[in-house]
Amino acid sequence: MAAEIGLILLIIASVISLLLAITPFIAVRKNSSYLKSYTSLFVHLNTTALLAAIITLGVLFVGNDFSVAYVANNSNTQLATLYKIAAVWGGHEGSMLFWIVAIAIWNSCITLNTRKSDNFHQYLCAILAMLILGFLLFLLFTSNPFARLLPEIPVEGRDLNPILQDIGLILHPPALFIGYVGLSVCFAGAMAALLESRDKIQQHCKQLRPWAIIAWIALTGGNAFGSWWAYNELGWGGWWFWDPVENASFIPWLVATAMVHALILSEKRNAFHASSLFICLLGFALCLLGTFLVRSGVVQSVHAFAADPTRGTSILILLMVFVGCGLALFAYRAPGLISSAKVTLGGKTVALQLGNFLLLATALSILLGTCYPLLYEVLTGATISVGAPYFNSIFIPLLLLIVLLMGAAPLLSWHTSSHKAIKKLAIYALGVLAVAIVTTIGLYQQLDLYLISGVFCIIWLPLCLIKSVTERQKRRAKSAHHDQTRFVGMFIAHMGVALSIFGATTVSYLEQEELLRMGPGQGKTLAGYTFIYEATETVEYPSYSALQAKIAVKDSRDRLITYIYPQRQTFNTNAMEISAAGIHRSLFGDIYISMGTQLSEQEYLVRISDKPMVSWIWIGALLMMFAGLMVLWQRRLVVHSGKYWQPYSFISATGGQP
Amino acid sequence: MKIITLRLALLLLSATLISTSIWAAESSVMHYTQTEIKTIGLSIAKTLRCPMSTNQNLLDSQAPIANELKAEIFLQLEQGRSEAQIIDFMVQRYGEKIRYMPNLAPGTMVLFLFPLFLVALIAAWALWLRRSNTQTQQPPSLDTHHD
Repeated sequence: MAAEIGLILLIIASVISLLLAITPFIAVRKNSSYLKSYTSLFVHLNTTALLAAIITLGVLFVGNDFSVAYVANNSNTQLATLYKIAAVWGGHEGSMLFWIVAIAIWNSCITLNTRKSDNFHQYLCAILAMLILGFLLFLLFTSNPFARLLPEIPVEGRDLNPILQDIGLILHPPALFIGYVGLSVCFAGAMAALLESRDKIQQHCKQLRPWAIIAWIALTGGNAFGSWWAYNELGWGGWWFWDPVENASFIPWLVATAMVHALILSEKRNAFHASSLFICLLGFALCLLGTFLVRSGVVQSVHAFAADPTRGTSILILLMVFVGCGLALFAYRAPGLISSAKVTLGGKTVALQLGNFLLLATALSILLGTCYPLLYEVLTGATISVGAPYFNSIFIPLLLLIVLLMGAAPLLSWHTSSHKAIKKLAIYALGVLAVAIVTTIGLYQQLDLYLISGVFCIIWLPLCLIKSVTERQKRRAKSAHHDQTRFVGMFIAHMGVALSIFGATTVSYLEQEELLRMGPGQGKTLAGYTFIYEATETVEYPSYSALQAKIAVKDSRDRLITYIYPQRQTFNTNAMEISAAGIHRSLFGDIYISMGTQLSEQEYLVRISDKPMVSWIWIGALLMMFAGLMVLWQRRLVVHSGKYWQPYSFISATGGQP
Repeated sequence: MKIITLRLALLLLSATLISTSIWAAESSVMHYTQTEIKTIGLSIAKTLRCPMSTNQNLLDSQAPIANELKAEIFLQLEQGRSEAQIIDFMVQRYGEKIRYMPNLAPGTMVLFLFPLFLVALIAAWALWLRRSNTQTQQPPSLDTHHD
């Protein structure tokens, strides 16, 4: 019964969305405030219906209703309740529903904080309703989460994929989906801004910015949690593999980063509106394309996701309809946005915009690399692989250019094109490059271009940031200004990037690893530690049993540091076997051991690695998220203290003067 | 400043010369030390795809074939074969799909040219902006924001 209620709720939501997609256009055209007043009612009704639907799905999971196919495929009676709830977004159907519900909630939040009669808001609601309607139709026709398995109801569910039974499932997918939702909202906002009069474009860009920042924070978290999860769970010690699924979440992050910076330009400098809006459209398009690649199973990935070609076609149709409409509207309206009046652009403006373009170029190059095996196979019939070595070879040089601009931009002026300052910076950059080359030779005994790039970034970025603080303090003496938090936010976020690059470079070059057969009583020294395999043990857990190695780690003076227990887990429900690494974490390096296949009666293939500074990759990401939250918070405070002339809330879509 | 650039250019040039001379030496039989075999072997295993599992490299994959191929890499290194020779051997046996770094061929040229093309486009934009900026010098607007 509950499943039918859920289905009906989805159908009701589709009908409301259809209404909501049409009425605002009529209301704006007739300028009828009576019709306009219905928009917010529809928005909230829609959210209520969708929220009720996803709660229904949660109830079905907790109640072990295996007559529902999605529940039977992703849960069973043995599963802990927390994971049953997380399983709601653990599979394809549920995660799409989560995406839809999050769009609806976001729209309700915007609606609560806004003046309802504002045309921009009316258009925004209509376009979001169209997105919701498209996704709902997709869900109802090809991947209904409430579909029943009748009449043969399984007694027991098939269990959630064992790899997914981890704290990562509770953090990573919701963060990523909120990021995708944020980009969907930015897409709708950009469309609404294109539909609205062009005089208010600067104001609309200002409204888009907090949404872009939220999306960016969520995507940063999604990528960081995802990579941390893979590092812990997959048992191969990698934290980034350029797998198609990883790329599908990294490409939107790059675009979201460009979006946040582009909107700064549009809001503060009243420049480049067309390209900012285009980036908003592109962000959503790439989200959908990534979803298509991951869900349709056209690319091979190590991160399993239930794939089905029929879904792929539907997502592709959605992509073409939404993005086609978006680009058509853009092509129609954008020429009016490009101002013909030439103004002198300051060095900082140009540097920021160059950085945005480079971020987009990086995103598009990674996209091409991800899709290329597919295109190649279709065109020539032969198969090739495009993997980590290729992506590193294009990403690292592009990252170097981006970091160069990241360092330079805060030191340049908004107002003048400052050739003198650029010349000075170029000399500094050459100096840092020389230091990087010397360090590389000292560290690695050869000229490795990647390592030089990494070292250059690690030195250049903090140096420029510190310089920008001192220059700012000099200026502050002359004129007092209020926008302190924004600068601090930029400082912390960019420092976060520097720390992540530091962690990634260090672990890539100074990691020491050993692949060997080990059994009880055997030992090995690596990186100043002695590893002694003491025993093989069996341990039982509620949902799996595990074979674990007890490995003692001693330092050079033979003092015991810790025991590490890498496991090979076998799940009770489906006998699936996975390996879970044993990790000893510390701030300056992890010791990572994973247990491989059995080689003889006593011995296993064991992989031991010393990974210096690896945790800084994620600490850097946390700093970036913190900085984003800080900037959002400051915007909220600014509203409430009434410093700006606009009534403004961090999630609001308010337009117009008070 | 010119002197610094010149020196850097010389340094880079000499570095490339050294590395090309190493390349030339590689065609004959090499003699690696044990640590070299380990590091080169692991790095080769990282750039090759496991034929059995979905999108994992030879080092990470735990499929039996991956272990065999890892052993094969170490064996060939001990016989003194170069990295390029070993990768060629693997490609001959398992096809182009085994290498994660696509070979530079007419069919894969786009992969390498596309990023270069985009960067060139951006550079062209910057140059165009600079030219139009210098042509129409206007007084800067009176804005006091500094960040």
